[in-house]
Amino acid sequence: MDTLLDIDQLRTYFFTEAGVVKAVDGVSLKVARGETHGLVGESGSGKSVTALSTLRIVPKPGKIVGGSIIFDGKDIIALKDKEIRSMRGKSIAIVFQDPMSSLNPLFTIENQICEIIRLHKGVSKAEARDSARHLLEMVGIPEAERRLKSYPHELSGGMKQRIAIARALSCEPQLLFADEPTTNLDVTIQAQVLDLMKSLKKELNMTLVMITHDMGIIAEMTERVTVLYAGQVYEACDTLTLFAKPKHPYTEALLKAVPRLDRKKELTSVPGNIPNLIEPPPGCRFHPRCPYAVQVCREKVPVLEEAGPGHLVACHRWRELGLSGA
Amino acid sequence: MSGTSGEAGSQTAEVKAPAKVKPRRSATQAAVTWRRFRRNKSALIGLTIVSAFLLLGVFGPFFAAYPPRSTASLFLGQAHEPPSWAHPFGTEPTGVDVFSDSIWATRNDLYVGIVATLIATALGVAIGAVAGYARPSISTAVLGVIQVFFVIPVLLLILLFARLFLLEVVAGWGLTLIVLILGLFGWSGIAFVVRGEIFRVKELEFVQAEKALGASNFRILFRHIVPNILTPIIVLATLGVAGNIITEVVISFLGFGDPNTATWGLLIDDGFRYVNTYWWVSFFPGLMCVILVLGFNLLGDGLSDALNPRLRE
Repeated sequence: MDTLLDIDQLRTYFFTEAGVVKAVDGVSLKVARGETHGLVGESGSGKSVTALSTLRIVPKPGKIVGGSIIFDGKDIIALKDKEIRSMRGKSIAIVFQDPMSSLNPLFTIENQICEIIRLHKGVSKAEARDSARHLLEMVGIPEAERRLKSYPHELSGGMKQRIAIARALSCEPQLLFADEPTTNLDVTIQAQVLDLMKSLKKELNMTLVMITHDMGIIAEMTERVTVLYAGQVYEACDTLTLFAKPKHPYTEALLKAVPRLDRKKELTSVPGNIPNLIEPPPGCRFHPRCPYAVQVCREKVPVLEEAGPGHLVACHRWRELGLSGA
Repeated sequence: MSGTSGEAGSQTAEVKAPAKVKPRRSATQAAVTWRRFRRNKSALIGLTIVSAFLLLGVFGPFFAAYPPRSTASLFLGQAHEPPSWAHPFGTEPTGVDVFSDSIWATRNDLYVGIVATLIATALGVAIGAVAGYARPSISTAVLGVIQVFFVIPVLLLILLFARLFLLEVVAGWGLTLIVLILGLFGWSGIAFVVRGEIFRVKELEFVQAEKALGASNFRILFRHIVPNILTPIIVLATLGVAGNIITEVVISFLGFGDPNTATWGLLIDDGFRYVNTYWWVSFFPGLMCVILVLGFNLLGDGLSDALNPRLRE
């Protein structure tokens, strides 16, 4: 496997006044070149912070306190500020969740796309403008020439998200994080944006990390999945296996919470809430919500074990439980 | 016949028209602001007053009958005369024509008010931006500096500096000295506001998006954040001009200004000693000063309403 991104035992903590929030607490994850990788988990499970850590733009008071991030052979954490800055947007890019606020309201679309192109490529204004128009056409915006002159408030949410994608792709990054790119869009637009990302990924030969809590998007888009819970990896395998034979009770609970047409059973949600990350529960962090929890779960922290080829799971009881997939 | 050809003509025009239509541009921020501003009567009055004084300050001196501080009238036997056609604002006992000097003073006071405010605004934005955006240790230190400047009595400092330097060191550059002092000591209010506004704007998602695309801190701060907080800066600067003009008048009135430069404060001071007999010497410059300061205040309030996105009509 040609690994593009190798995160090992990453720990990113937020030093708040209430205490140290361990948002990412020992996450390990490998993303192969060219694959679409899913990062799934509830809100607050550390998906976004993992992505922000990779770009080294964790907002204050957050800080990467341990672990390593190797991207394309480079140790991200050891890079100088200037070096990592020149990689952002050029080698690694990210599309954020809220298209409404991820564009500066004061500048035209042209202005905002050209800025990034000129920053990283140092081309002339006219060349940057040409690529900006080409980008808008590529992300399927009609009347690109006219839209270049528009301000963000003149565009719909779907269009803004396309612009945000165009901006992220403007320097043809090797790795693109999509941080819940469709959460704030309505369903028909969601489908369009997902299709767009799929085709762009193929066209530009990128590696894509989809961050989402929507199992439907995982099934639709990804080849491999990492399930995060409370800042830790609980299961990682290829998408088909995850849906067919989940090994972790949390994955099973997530799958049960997906509405399906062919199943008449009542839709269940995962009981309880994500734990307090200042003082996480001892042992397995999922045990207070886990229907299969026994004494050992409350006392011992489970480690990631190989449950099959390329299938990692962190659960004391994965061998004995016969969990149902979707 | 003529009817038919006319119709044909209009048809061709209609067919051609769409090709010529320019892409529709939506109302810019400036257009929206002007539309709201226009409806506000007191704002328009303020704008009119300020424009009139600006014209007077720029072009008035070309039409002034006497050079500044000229005692020519004394030798014509026209000292301490009440307002007349020859001397619309009367003359001082020294022979200074109050009308001409008031015009020269308009230019000088506008120069003090505007340039001092530009300096103070530039400093306030730069320092406030650092205080709002730098890492906590630097930010706290800069905040301390802002607070020190916020509490020092600027007027006393100005009087001190004026006394120290004005007559000996910088004779002839008195106004510029006052401009520098007002500018260098008057930025703390703007810095406070800028710092607070930056705290608000830097948490918006587009700032993180810019960072994720590789923009440097300097670029994010001055190209993306500062333009987003221009509204309060513009309003504060407009009000600041009025404040600086008043301060200049106070300095001159107290006798700390340059006695060889015509300013309203100096004229008011000239007339103050014999206000019972020669009331016009103080009255007209004072009136002009009051009107201009009122104009800047009305303009500032009007801008603040017109630029406020939360006030929808």
